[in-house]
Amino acid sequence: MSRSSALISGVGIVSGAGADTAATLASFRDGIRHISTTLPFESSITCPTFQVESPLPVLPDGQNSSRTLRLAMAAVREALTNAGIERFDAGTRVGVCIGTTVGCQLNCVPFYAAMRNGGNPPLDPVSDFLKTNVSQAVGKLLGVRGPRLTVVNACSSGSDAIGVAASWIRAGVCDVAIAGGADEMYIVPVAGFWSLGVMSLQPCAPFDKNRSGLNLGEGAGVFVMESEAYARSRGKSHQFEVAGFGSACDAHHLTAPHPEGRGLDAAVRAALMQARIEPDDVAFINTHGTATLDNDRAEGKVISRVFGNQIPFLSTKGFTGHTLGAAGGLEAAFTLLGLREGWIPASMGFETPDDEIALVPVRRRTEVAGKYALSTSLAFGGNNAALLIGRVG
Amino acid sequence: MADADRKLSSVAILGIGAVTPLGRNLDVIAAKLKEPADPSDAVRQVSDELLADTSLSRNLRRADRFTRMAVMAAVDAWKAAEAACIGVALEHVGMILSSGFGPHCRGFKFLDGLIDEGDGATSPTDFSHSVHGAALAYISGLLDIRGPSLSVTDFEIGFEQSVQLAQCWLAEGMCDRVLIGAVDEVGEVLLHCASRMLNEAAEVSPGEGAMFMVLGPGGSSGAIAQLDATTNPHAVDLLLSERPVVAVPSRGGPGVEAKERATFTSYFGYSTSTAAFQLLGGLLRLRETGVSESIDNAATLRTSSDAQLATMLLERISR
Repeated sequence: MSRSSALISGVGIVSGAGADTAATLASFRDGIRHISTTLPFESSITCPTFQVESPLPVLPDGQNSSRTLRLAMAAVREALTNAGIERFDAGTRVGVCIGTTVGCQLNCVPFYAAMRNGGNPPLDPVSDFLKTNVSQAVGKLLGVRGPRLTVVNACSSGSDAIGVAASWIRAGVCDVAIAGGADEMYIVPVAGFWSLGVMSLQPCAPFDKNRSGLNLGEGAGVFVMESEAYARSRGKSHQFEVAGFGSACDAHHLTAPHPEGRGLDAAVRAALMQARIEPDDVAFINTHGTATLDNDRAEGKVISRVFGNQIPFLSTKGFTGHTLGAAGGLEAAFTLLGLREGWIPASMGFETPDDEIALVPVRRRTEVAGKYALSTSLAFGGNNAALLIGRVG
Repeated sequence: MADADRKLSSVAILGIGAVTPLGRNLDVIAAKLKEPADPSDAVRQVSDELLADTSLSRNLRRADRFTRMAVMAAVDAWKAAEAACIGVALEHVGMILSSGFGPHCRGFKFLDGLIDEGDGATSPTDFSHSVHGAALAYISGLLDIRGPSLSVTDFEIGFEQSVQLAQCWLAEGMCDRVLIGAVDEVGEVLLHCASRMLNEAAEVSPGEGAMFMVLGPGGSSGAIAQLDATTNPHAVDLLLSERPVVAVPSRGGPGVEAKERATFTSYFGYSTSTAAFQLLGGLLRLRETGVSESIDNAATLRTSSDAQLATMLLERISR
């Protein structure tokens, strides 16, 4: 085992690619995209999206209104089942760290519109919002005590949340951590990304020469992580760990990545250093790969520079869309599944190489072998995160 | 955050910066804290004049109040810690910003566009500035800080949890310094909600402001004080809680004995960043030497609604 000892004992996922791990793997295996052509709210914008169609957990009054929280709980429940944890003993310190974007903003349009017009609309949306801070609410729904933070680092939130949880476990401030990301489809990011001119009217095509932007999606991806001591105490052995985490800021622009991927480069190298491995030890990369011109170009440069042009890589956003705060959690989970299953799916949407990107993603389901795999995230604000998932032993 | 958790050391506070309803200059704030607080229930807001910093105006021309408060407090903290940061690589400086509501006024400005113009004609500038991470993006660009950058939110104990995370980052060598802060703003919507949701007899008024600190490993030279968010103190000189008469018991243990109790919410107002301003008040009290009472340490304590205890223990370096 590397220096880090944040073991991964459970995985939970829900997205447009599937309601759980099994359904997601089936979509990946068969190369099927579940694209929605209508939005779940009234909108003048017509664009492809990736929505969760499966039923979600029903939560107590006041919390059920948050689709983000319901998505998070769907993934948390699968992850806990996968970890073999039915309940926590009273003395177990359980950290909760979930990343989100929509789930942290008081932006109920009907309430605001009524208030702005001088009315006194019912305060239910506000009181519900105060009950649905994702990490607070997950902790309370599970009845656990321990460190908690909701990460609001835009599109790297899910990766950063897992990195925070790994730090907690290594520092001994909790025994177990539930970490990842969750976000719902909502009118504000749809309108916002539309205003930025980065949304495609076609199914997204990460790293393709003719890519025209991102598709939005929703979902949640969560790990249950634990310390070696806690795993030993319950007689569990583990296959995977968070072997390394790196985070670095571009210090460049509010919305655009550094053109040379300066921050991503630093984040990737920091993750490799923390895991004490070399680039050649990495079996494959699950990139951020949003299918915007700037993101894919910058990411391609960094991968080529650090890993060379032969490493297998893909973007899973062709299956899920860009799930914003959930993306890092989902993609970390997909990365682990790639290592576990020994294959990665085709990078959906890719057809034509881009002359400005020195390497091409995998075009078909591809076998992979190795001990480590990397998941990368880039975000508004110039945040970059790199998570190395490793096989234990 | 029980004592049993302790594998982390205290960290050093190397610089502070604050933008508050009492002002931006720490000496001025300290002097005002010695005077009686304004007894009115007026909202404790930062003045517009204070936020019109001409030295930063070019960099902040698109920034809103939230980001302006954050940037000014962060820049002041960074300047105050300058001597203690010589030789530190900017790639090894991390940032953490905690806020309950984030730049929500900018978010509502975005909604104005959405409601008035339709969802196909909103402002990209309002959208990009409405995300929680916008303030740290400004700060990183201005100070060229390139380490980990993390915005977090929690309605109850976000700042205390951020301090604990900074301790983790410093302990595992992920950073050599952490610029950590808490920011909250009050706007029309929050005031509307507060006026309808809070009891008329509420003892505190809403407040806003930003407080940043530069933290380094314990024992760093140039430290102002030591800080630890992983221990539950049982006896302190000064106990800072949101209400002066409330003794917060530690979970499963005895209450905290204190020579003196204080609260600063009547000066700074109440927000989800209250703990940061309690800490600021405590720091300014510790900074004073030669006063009659002997204040060598102070603790801020509060419990979350699920009875989690959050503490920060602040200790004077030397007299």
